[in-house]
Amino acid sequence: MTRSLAVIAALAIWTIGNAEARPVSYEGGWTVIEETDRQSTSAWVHYTLTPTFSLGWRSEWDRRQDFVFNGPQATYLVNRWFGENYQANIYVFGGAGVATGVAENDAGSRAAAFVGVLADWETRRWFASYRARLFEAGGVDSSTFHAARFGFAPYEGDTGDLHTWLMVEIDHRPDNPDPVGVTPLVRFFKGSALLELGWSVTDDQPLANFTYRF
Amino acid sequence: MTKTLILAFAFAALAYPAVASPNDHQHHDENHDHLAHDHEEGHRHQDDTLDDAPTDRSAAILTRTAEIDAALAAGGEPIVIDILGVVCDFCAKAMNKTFSKRAEVASTYVDLDTKALSLVLRPEATLGDEMITTLVKKAGYRTAAIRRGEAALRGGDNADDAS
Repeated sequence: MTRSLAVIAALAIWTIGNAEARPVSYEGGWTVIEETDRQSTSAWVHYTLTPTFSLGWRSEWDRRQDFVFNGPQATYLVNRWFGENYQANIYVFGGAGVATGVAENDAGSRAAAFVGVLADWETRRWFASYRARLFEAGGVDSSTFHAARFGFAPYEGDTGDLHTWLMVEIDHRPDNPDPVGVTPLVRFFKGSALLELGWSVTDDQPLANFTYRF
Repeated sequence: MTKTLILAFAFAALAYPAVASPNDHQHHDENHDHLAHDHEEGHRHQDDTLDDAPTDRSAAILTRTAEIDAALAAGGEPIVIDILGVVCDFCAKAMNKTFSKRAEVASTYVDLDTKALSLVLRPEATLGDEMITTLVKKAGYRTAAIRRGEAALRGGDNADDAS
């Protein structure tokens, strides 16, 4: 399993190009993120120490595997490609903490850790991203997932306008009864706030993500 | 396992970077006033240490907002900085936050259409190109060119080397 994740991560790095809403902000910036998808709900706060490194705290409730994770997460911007009309980034991230079984998961509390890779490419009109994560928490949970997202903005908003994106996320979670999930979503973006609302057509679960940058 | 790898490969192949269409900005917000966008051809002085694509856009001029006009009326120096990688409001937020912390800066505005940061300094204040380039890097972006004074207000051929 670990080997397969290493291969996936290597593939992601090899593609050099594509990922998601910036987990590293400007130096001195705070970001608050809430994410709910068909698998889990999480809250993440991070502070950007340098333009390439952020440190934060993640709390995550895996609703399907019935556990809660709490711990710090570090994210490093490996490279950013700049163009007049595009930006592309590749990040690696990792965290460690404690995972505790809840509800039907009676495994108790175990040390937990995760590593992952995230890449994105975006213009004001097109967006593509890829992320993969390996999570290990002994008897509480051991899982992998990776997801790709593609988006299109029907119009280009200027600074301070409401920006709207139509997106679809395809995720693969090998341990799930429905391993491949498809989630269409709409992203609204205005100023410092980003809201995403979607619905997993695979297993009728909502997607609701919110990001605010201070 | 095999299925996982196939899916990973498919995602990776699909997500492979497409080519951005150059000069892809038709929309224009009307809550500010660009005096012109069709000035002379760009005279880019790029930071050659950067992992950038070359640029050929026209030189942006100072974006006029009420705050910027007030800062100009007070006698501050206008500066326009062409930025690489500006694609969304988070980029604008990063630069506005980073520059507005500086005592020298009276007003800032990032225009996504022109991909330029407009600054007006406080009267008598100065901010060197090297510091501007450093601040843009701290915000997470890259400087392509810097114009001051008349060139910032009306376009012109005095863009400073951003490196």
